[in-house]
Amino acid sequence: MARPVIEAPPTTPAGTWLEGEELARRAAARTRRKRLALLVAGWAAMLGIWQVAAYYLPFGTLPNPLEVSVEMWEIVASGALVSDFLASVLKTFAGFGVAVLIGAPVGYLMGRYGYWRAFFLDGVTVAGTIPALTYAVLSLIIFGLSNLGPVLAVALVSTPYVALNVAEGIRGVDQNLVKMSQAFGRSPQQIRREVFIPTIVPYLFAAVRMSFAVAWKVEALTEVFGGTNGVGFQIRTRYQLFDITGVIAWMALFIVFMLLIERLLLRKLEQRVLAWRPEERAAR
Amino acid sequence: MTDTLTRRRSTEEIARSRPAWQRRLTSDRAARLTFYVVAFLFWIALAGLFERIPGPPSVVDSLVEEFRRGEVFGNFADTFYRFGIGVALSVGVGILVGVVIGLSPMARAFLESPVLVGLSIPAIMWAFLTVMWFGFGHTSPIVTTFLTAVPFVILNVAQGVQGVSRDLRDMSSSYGVPLGRRVRELVLPAVAGYVVAGLRFAVIMGWNGVLLAEWFGGSGGAGYRARFWYDANQFAGFAAWVVLFVGVIIILDQLLLERLSRRMFRWRDATH
Amino acid sequence: MAVLTVNDLCKTFGAGTARSNRVLDHISFDVRGQTFVSVVGPSGCGKSTLLNIISGVETHTSGDVSVTSDEGRPARLGYVFQDPRLLPWRTVRKNMLYVQDKDDDQARRRVSTYLDMVGLGQHGDFFPGQLSGGMQQRVGIARAFAVEPDLLIMDEPFSHLDAITARGLRAQLQDIWAQSRKTVVFVTHDVVEAVELSDRIIVLQPGGRIFEDIPIDLPRPRRQSDPAVATLQAEVLARLEKMKAITPQAATAV
Repeated sequence: MARPVIEAPPTTPAGTWLEGEELARRAAARTRRKRLALLVAGWAAMLGIWQVAAYYLPFGTLPNPLEVSVEMWEIVASGALVSDFLASVLKTFAGFGVAVLIGAPVGYLMGRYGYWRAFFLDGVTVAGTIPALTYAVLSLIIFGLSNLGPVLAVALVSTPYVALNVAEGIRGVDQNLVKMSQAFGRSPQQIRREVFIPTIVPYLFAAVRMSFAVAWKVEALTEVFGGTNGVGFQIRTRYQLFDITGVIAWMALFIVFMLLIERLLLRKLEQRVLAWRPEERAAR
Repeated sequence: MTDTLTRRRSTEEIARSRPAWQRRLTSDRAARLTFYVVAFLFWIALAGLFERIPGPPSVVDSLVEEFRRGEVFGNFADTFYRFGIGVALSVGVGILVGVVIGLSPMARAFLESPVLVGLSIPAIMWAFLTVMWFGFGHTSPIVTTFLTAVPFVILNVAQGVQGVSRDLRDMSSSYGVPLGRRVRELVLPAVAGYVVAGLRFAVIMGWNGVLLAEWFGGSGGAGYRARFWYDANQFAGFAAWVVLFVGVIIILDQLLLERLSRRMFRWRDATH
Repeated sequence: MAVLTVNDLCKTFGAGTARSNRVLDHISFDVRGQTFVSVVGPSGCGKSTLLNIISGVETHTSGDVSVTSDEGRPARLGYVFQDPRLLPWRTVRKNMLYVQDKDDDQARRRVSTYLDMVGLGQHGDFFPGQLSGGMQQRVGIARAFAVEPDLLIMDEPFSHLDAITARGLRAQLQDIWAQSRKTVVFVTHDVVEAVELSDRIIVLQPGGRIFEDIPIDLPRPRRQSDPAVATLQAEVLARLEKMKAITPQAATAV
């Protein structure tokens, strides 16, 4: 029997255009299911490693996931969560407010004028490299045990991010729009309000989202060193009692909570403010 | 009808209206110098305002004193040893995992959550836990450095690998470029910059991690020594150590990594 | 009476350095009110630089440029660019109001009038990103007319559009101009377009000198299909060919 020279293709070609679309959609769904399975597998593997490590590490130094989740549930049920979380979140946002208030104008100057760029650049670069530990302890030295310490630490850590991002945004401003405004005789104030500020808003959001991830960690760290309330304060208390389960449970709750704020709150706000962008309209 | 003439000034006229001394005063160099002077005055003002903040003279005194006691080099040797191993491990593992994630979407789906969780765990957690697990010694700071730094390396490398343009890859395969040359000419140059960016993150994050672990670990090192002065309420001594470890990280980041990074990203920045 | 006076104008980029480059070389001309003047020349002859100097975006090296306005106020300029240059974060109407000196009822009426004239009366509340390139350029034209400028400057406004859209917009521009009779300086590298639109064509040659100043005396409205227009276009093109023969630098351009 003669063997066919050309073998049949592995999948039969779609008879019609619609059929092809159907096939493509099914393939996409398959990929999506596979992705989801792997995502779950990723979490399972993580928890598995944790479980195994808890088993082998000396008794009491690493609780297993179940113990931690029971503890997390107790913290949530006891209601202690609300007041401490609220305290930490408020301090983070207060520090953030200070950072934007100082960082945005500095970044604006850096982006617009060569002189101010040269003036601030070294300071901002150095401030961005300083270890968070330094900021935390420094804030404590200045304010002692008070709520102002964490606020200052957050502000110190976030300001360079905000300044650099805003400066980057200003430098990326569409020069054609500036020239257009000048050609129509717009005043510098009008150009600032209508061209520069709308340009930097997306960059400001990027800076806020980027530094938020660092900011809340520094906030917690400062509370660990010398807070009078808040999540970090709870973590320190548990640590001093050698209650590792409590330490991990508080931390895990805080991580989940902060990720939620980052993903939901900040993202929503961004979508609303940036409604003019085609990609934002598509997302809604 | 009254006519108004709107005249435009020429460059010659504008140049005549601005004297040379003014131009010198607004140069970049003058601006930087002014900044340092202002920052220094600001420090002195702060020290005068808050009695807990040490002024420049007392910090310099403590610094000299620490050098004289021979505390500086021994402690930094410890810290560098731990930091070096931790960063080296995180770069090695980070590149490996980052490349895998960048190349395979399935590996990405599997490893994405662990990396994200790793990114969001604060260094202080690792410092606490590793001190509990490994006690006082080299292991705790090394592991803390590694664990805080590695997610950042992975993220950057994965981004770099994904960024190797599919078009260029297709171009290479359609011209039949051999694999060795493809890796050398296409993948490595495209990824190298991101590896350096990841390394910078690793260094900055890891430095914070190692100091924290030493702070809580109590087995020597720069972080331990800084805590010693903090606990003794000798803030000038603490500030002296801050000056040291901020100085070290800036030398490392600006003089080494920044230059390396600029070299690696030369092709990208050349366009604008 | 002259609205725009350019007298002995020079522009040198990087003056005083080894790489100094003179793009405008002792240029003088006047533009009278209510005329449509085109500046034509090969790329690199300094057309855009000339416009930037007139509008004040760039400074000139020496010489004099002035724009006259009546009623004792500073001269008002309108500008249409190659690209639309609209603020993407403002709606079409807000974009047009942005360049108005006062945001009052009169300004709003002007904006609506000119928006209607370019056929976009229904699109005032759209963001620029929601309009096609041709529509955006129409907004740019409406914006420039709506400031009621003493001098309207247009910098190759149709060069980034496809041929059919450009042709439609040229016809529209002629209609608007016929109604408003603003003084226009229109820069283009397209001689055919210049003949169709203008009362007078100033030809620049590479190196930034005026090669010729040609009056176009044809009845309006002009249409491409009109044989008189076509004849004149051919004639002007022939003169430009002559310029190429004389100035060797121009041979590569046009």
